[in-house]
Amino acid sequence: MKHVLVVQLARFGDLVQTKRLMVSLCAQADCQVHLCVDESLVGLAGLLYPGVLVHGLCAHGTGLTKAPALDQAKAMLLGNRMVLRELAALNCERVYNLNFSPLNFRLVSLFAPEIIVGHRWQQGQEIVGPWASLAMRWSAMRRLGLNIADFWAWHHHAPVAPQSVNPQAKAAGSGCIGVVMAGRESRRSLPPKVLANLAGTLRDLRGGTRLYLLGSASEDRAARAFLRELAPRHSEGCLNLCGKTTLADLPEVLAGLDLVITPDTGTMHLAAHLGVPVLATFLSSAWCHETGPYGLGHTIVQASCECSPCLESRPCPMDVECLNPFADPRLPRYFATGLEKHLPEGLLVMDSSMDDVGATYTARAGADDWAARRMAFRQFLAGHLHIPGAMVTPESSQFASRLYSERDWLPTHADTAEYETLRSLYE
Amino acid sequence: MVLPLYGGSLPVGRFCAGALRELGHIVEVFEAPDFYSSYEALGRLRVTSDRLQYLENTYLQVVAQAVLAKVETFEPDLVLSMAQAPLTIQALKRLRRDGVATAMWFVEDHRLFTYWQAFAPHYDLFAVIQRGQFELELAGIGVSNVLYLPMAAHPEVHKSLELSEADKRTFGSDISFMGAGYPNRRLAFHELVDLDFKLWGTEWEGDPILAPLVQRAGARISSEDCVRIFNAAKININLHSSVQATELVTGGDFLNPRTFEVAACGAFQLVDRRSLMPESFAEDELATFGDMTEFLEKIQYFLAHPEERAAYAKRGQARVLRDHTYAQRMRTLLEFAAERLPNWPRPRTATRAVEGVPPELMVEIEEMLARLGLPPDASFEDLVWAVRQQSDSLSDLDAAVLFLDEWRKLYGQRGG
Repeated sequence: MKHVLVVQLARFGDLVQTKRLMVSLCAQADCQVHLCVDESLVGLAGLLYPGVLVHGLCAHGTGLTKAPALDQAKAMLLGNRMVLRELAALNCERVYNLNFSPLNFRLVSLFAPEIIVGHRWQQGQEIVGPWASLAMRWSAMRRLGLNIADFWAWHHHAPVAPQSVNPQAKAAGSGCIGVVMAGRESRRSLPPKVLANLAGTLRDLRGGTRLYLLGSASEDRAARAFLRELAPRHSEGCLNLCGKTTLADLPEVLAGLDLVITPDTGTMHLAAHLGVPVLATFLSSAWCHETGPYGLGHTIVQASCECSPCLESRPCPMDVECLNPFADPRLPRYFATGLEKHLPEGLLVMDSSMDDVGATYTARAGADDWAARRMAFRQFLAGHLHIPGAMVTPESSQFASRLYSERDWLPTHADTAEYETLRSLYE
Repeated sequence: MVLPLYGGSLPVGRFCAGALRELGHIVEVFEAPDFYSSYEALGRLRVTSDRLQYLENTYLQVVAQAVLAKVETFEPDLVLSMAQAPLTIQALKRLRRDGVATAMWFVEDHRLFTYWQAFAPHYDLFAVIQRGQFELELAGIGVSNVLYLPMAAHPEVHKSLELSEADKRTFGSDISFMGAGYPNRRLAFHELVDLDFKLWGTEWEGDPILAPLVQRAGARISSEDCVRIFNAAKININLHSSVQATELVTGGDFLNPRTFEVAACGAFQLVDRRSLMPESFAEDELATFGDMTEFLEKIQYFLAHPEERAAYAKRGQARVLRDHTYAQRMRTLLEFAAERLPNWPRPRTATRAVEGVPPELMVEIEEMLARLGLPPDASFEDLVWAVRQQSDSLSDLDAAVLFLDEWRKLYGQRGG
């Protein structure tokens, strides 16, 4: 029995978006898959990936950052040490280290660098893997983008087909719509008034369904503001579940919904995992080509201003102009008629779809000026990833000239795990 | 000749250099492997990852500058490199700007080694081991001087040997395979474990079925021992590699170097059929198979028919020595260069080495030319360069030749 380990120390949404890689590894014969996550996500990981052995580390800050130094040291040196000992004893054949984080680098110091795919640690040196290095280069052209689920999946040399990752989205038939209050960055979320208007419009179109407000306890305030903004005829059908569900409860709640209206959140990814239709609102730094819901049957309303997508960490000099189209009174009219001429400028309505590389998003309404370039970029990726039938065209090879660097074709011996296909045919 | 930093095509680069010398050309080799350990050492610095990337890229630029310095000094008619040679795009642009002709012999699978898209347009000539789709794709990105140039053998290395009894015991077996443990090979060879079968080469770990057959604990095998293995085995298996194991016999296009090397040794091989095989070998020159059933049948057949093995080996060897040596490949490449590159090679106004030599030294100079592998009509400049390439201490005559050359450069005097 071979053992492989995936190290995913990021958040709830990232854990869900690791699915294509996890499914690919679980499909391998005679292979036990292990997953290392923050201890707060152990329960959810077990629900998402049955059959996978989950190991929980104290990795996220949370309350421990305010704890006395001694308590911090105990958690790390005593608690985490036990887990690290377990991981070292697995004698893994491969370790997939997914996050560009100092914690991840230090964790994989347990393993020989030759077995690590992704970010590795080599005699005290942090080394970014070749695929991740390439991704860092193309991320300078953010209007392109590869879904992060596919980026992680392609750490595997032959991941499962993207269509087999999540079920096709289908309404539960319950007459209930979930509304996710906010994501972690306020700029990426619709203010309560705009969200209430949108939710009300969709409720009207669907003939008076119930609205479930979803979020953690910290979003309860936003939920109350939402309820104040909601037209009275909609409030009576509304149930505020903010702070009332745990991560473990969330799948059951979502599974019973006909639709989830959400910004770019972990809940959105969980809904896609379950095959619950998503209507996602992406603005500011949120870009559907990078983090859109994975699977068929989802819709994204994507802000598309000159400055889209922006960087989360930089203040917005445009007064969050990308929010304006969502507040435009024409948007509800667009949903009512479905006619492109009613869609406000600065928005794209995207339908989720698939190609050989992974998830894509195609404009149903609005002008997607980068569609052709994105297609050439995906052709380039298909060739780079050795997808059968991939062709090199003059358009796709421009990305090769721009993105490949000498370091790519001059690997060192320690790049072994990711460079299996680069061994000369002389061998 | 710019060798790769390391890797499987390094011997191919050396064979090319040897072949070019054999054809009478002056060859200067950039020993890129000398720089490899420093390059790897950067990865042990324990700095931030972005700083490491910067250092690695900068180091590659420095090594490329060393190549340019050598080109400036040696003034070659052609700079020839292999796929993992440390010639950066920036260096290639500089060579093009300076009018120095460049060529790469790309001896890799273009579908797996996709980086050719980045550097192929910067070479004046691009030699490849695959046809069809690859040629079209190269043309599509503006690479027009493409030459199909299959692999080869180097008869100085790949030759028939009289093995000692000890070598026969060490290297001999009914069936042998020399190469890396790619997935398709691992599975295919499970069928052979009950036979007298030796596995040589690297990356065979983790397979308990094959483990007892792996020789020398899976250590890398030298070129010299490869030749002994080829000579010693009754049947050399040559199964082209594949990174997937769904189809064990892939029916791909290019021929690997082993196909030519085993044949050049006068040894018998059983090789999987490839689409480009008919262009290089007639049906009676190589024993082939198309699937696993045929593979297993033919192993039994050829084990029982040594006279047929000998006949195939003889015909295969004759064909390789006639048409598929590195010398022939280099000749083809240079003819292609002359055909495609305008005014190539540039005429050189050079004095013959033997002109103006005092009569009492003529015999010694002629002996010197022969010792250095130069033709009798070699130029004085070529003689100087060949003397300079020697690694041992120089003789007094060698030193005197170099001294004369430098003296003339200093004072610009060639005499009347």
